[in-house]
Amino acid sequence: MGAVAGAARRGGMRKTPGFRVLPAVELLTLVVLVAVPFVLGHRPELITLMTNILILSLLAISFDLCWGFSGIMSFGQALFFGVASYVIALVGRDLDFSQLWGTLPLAMLVGGALAALMAAFLLLGRKTPTSIFVAFGTLTGAYAAERLVAGWQYVGAGNGLSSIKLMAFGGYDFVEGVEFYGVALTVLVLVYIASRWLVRSQLGLVLAGMRQNEERLAFFGYRIQVFKALVFSLAGAVAGLSGALYSYHQGFTGPSNLGPGLSTTAVIYCLFGGSGTLIGPVLGTAAIEGMSFFLSDVEAVRQFWPVILGVVLLVVVMFQPTGLLGLVLSARERIGSYGMRQRG
Amino acid sequence: MSEHDRFARPSRRGILKGAAGLASAGWTAAATGWVLRPRWAHAEGPIKMGIATDITGAIAPSGNANWQVAQFTVERINAAGGVGGKPIALFLEDTASDPKIAVGNVRKLIQEHRVDVVFGGITSAMRQAIKDPIVNRGRTLYIYPQLYEGQECTKYLYNTGPTPAQQCDRLIPYLVKERGCKRFALPSANYVWPQLLNKYARKVIEANGAEVVFEEYYPLDQAEYSATIGKIKDGKVDCVFNTIIPPGLQPFVKQLYESGFQKNGGVLSCVYYDENLLNYHPANEMDGLVSCLDYFQAVDDPFSKSLQEGYEKRFPGTKYLFTAGSASTGMYRGIKLYEAAVKSNGGKLGRDDVAAALEHASIPEGPGGGASIVPGHWHCKMNMYTAVCRNDGGKTRYEVIDKADMVDPREC
Repeated sequence: MGAVAGAARRGGMRKTPGFRVLPAVELLTLVVLVAVPFVLGHRPELITLMTNILILSLLAISFDLCWGFSGIMSFGQALFFGVASYVIALVGRDLDFSQLWGTLPLAMLVGGALAALMAAFLLLGRKTPTSIFVAFGTLTGAYAAERLVAGWQYVGAGNGLSSIKLMAFGGYDFVEGVEFYGVALTVLVLVYIASRWLVRSQLGLVLAGMRQNEERLAFFGYRIQVFKALVFSLAGAVAGLSGALYSYHQGFTGPSNLGPGLSTTAVIYCLFGGSGTLIGPVLGTAAIEGMSFFLSDVEAVRQFWPVILGVVLLVVVMFQPTGLLGLVLSARERIGSYGMRQRG
Repeated sequence: MSEHDRFARPSRRGILKGAAGLASAGWTAAATGWVLRPRWAHAEGPIKMGIATDITGAIAPSGNANWQVAQFTVERINAAGGVGGKPIALFLEDTASDPKIAVGNVRKLIQEHRVDVVFGGITSAMRQAIKDPIVNRGRTLYIYPQLYEGQECTKYLYNTGPTPAQQCDRLIPYLVKERGCKRFALPSANYVWPQLLNKYARKVIEANGAEVVFEEYYPLDQAEYSATIGKIKDGKVDCVFNTIIPPGLQPFVKQLYESGFQKNGGVLSCVYYDENLLNYHPANEMDGLVSCLDYFQAVDDPFSKSLQEGYEKRFPGTKYLFTAGSASTGMYRGIKLYEAAVKSNGGKLGRDDVAAALEHASIPEGPGGGASIVPGHWHCKMNMYTAVCRNDGGKTRYEVIDKADMVDPREC
């Protein structure tokens, strides 16, 4: 166990307590998610909602990798999400291709490459960028992209792209439903495991150090901007994957899918659930999407449900900065421990 | 109210939720969605109609008018015995003026409520976003009620609003021949409706021997039009065929008026202007505006008048008017055409059964007159009216100056 090894390295200090909250929450979430199709199989609208939650969780995780683990305030996650969603829609429309073994990796490539390009501009310049610079840089990128797409006829301009070709595997087409849910859950679990491994590895330790004190790490000889660029690109790939699944699932993508609006939503998913935990963003997405699904249908609040949702989010973000998960999770566990150093 | 109470009774759940006022208007706050249930029942259950419209967001005024007209129309049908003995239940989902939210909410109509047909969508962006979840993935019939740019030729998607041909074929010859307009300007908002409408309008303008001086597209929120006004002056434009929409609309119309365009004999024409839109501007700016729609409140036929009276009785003092520009007439027409189709096929509700019957459906009466679907073309023939806005001492009204009977949509 990483925890034990970490404690042992520090010279036989007291072992961490046996029960840990985070793995328990993760396991519980997984059990619930696996049970969903069996319990809710007869309610297609709820399966659709849950699938959406899984897909948007990927977007929230991509933001958590940036902010929660590397201290990059990215207001542009929707850019990678949105561009990938458009690419997938166009590949379906113009090339008549939507095999998931081809398009999902393509989406990751598009998101990752775009993020790498952006990182090259924002992070790898001669001068070390401030976090404000990065925040505004990413925000501007998303905003510019939204305006650009909204005026570009080839990609549907303000109308966006609809009737997106269904995601396929061989001869099988995925419409929304239990099968699509299965695909989304598989993707989420894989991304989650990979992210978890990444942030708890030695690389993760460097990231944690960077988050605490960038200068000090730099003096140790780490090229911290390169680490940041790497994580930013990986997060871009995850956002791209999310965007592709989203456009397949909704059958629609539009300019608002790559703008600051959705970027901010991703920030809120993450902060609401608890950033720097990976599972927090998943829970945050579920809570927010679930709330807006049910609130928008309550007669008494029908005219102003977005306001209620906004107030709830505001209260949580202001008074519970560690998010919902912070209520049950100790700071020590949130910061966590890291994998063994490679000897050689 | 009493007339209404006779056929719509609040459910116990509605009362429990304390929604007494709403419940007395026939509303029950169901676990999810807003449902208007008929008072009486049929053994096989009601016909389920889904309404997907913009209750919140930028175009909520039009969306709410749509929804009220849908309620009004369905209540009249139910009060008259329903369709083939079955009552209609209405299910509403908010499309929130945002296609991204809409695709999610529209699915609730199909997956959760399993409606037989969906009506709604106002902007073209909205129609394009929700048609796939409804028609392709949802395998449900879809009826789109708004005037629009045409070229929507999708099986199972019927358009009950006017097309560019219906709006231009009488209006533009009138502008050229009767009003003597020879030089047109087409200032527009930059999205799909103005672009395709202008393409058609230009054809008709040129076919009538007039010319287009310029055709320009501006961002929707542009507030400064002095360059445009300059071009209108320099180009000796005598007719502005406007497709700028709010929020850019008000500054444009004001600046055009202040430049003295109308005073010097210029004509402002705008084909989506109904009674609601007049209230966006001071009356003097609207004097002389020419519009062409499928209905104006000034239309003098007894059925239209009685509809208008019934609507006012049902929603006293409402600010959401029953007019043509906000898709309300298309909504009425769509619901009645659906009713006619189901009646004619013996009450079958399957998508193909209704679509086959819709191909030959027609209604004898409606706001502005009857309508009939052109078989194989997914659009309706309807009466079209050209009207000029008059300013009576600060109050605006339309004067209908031309009526064309059962104009062909010329689509698909």
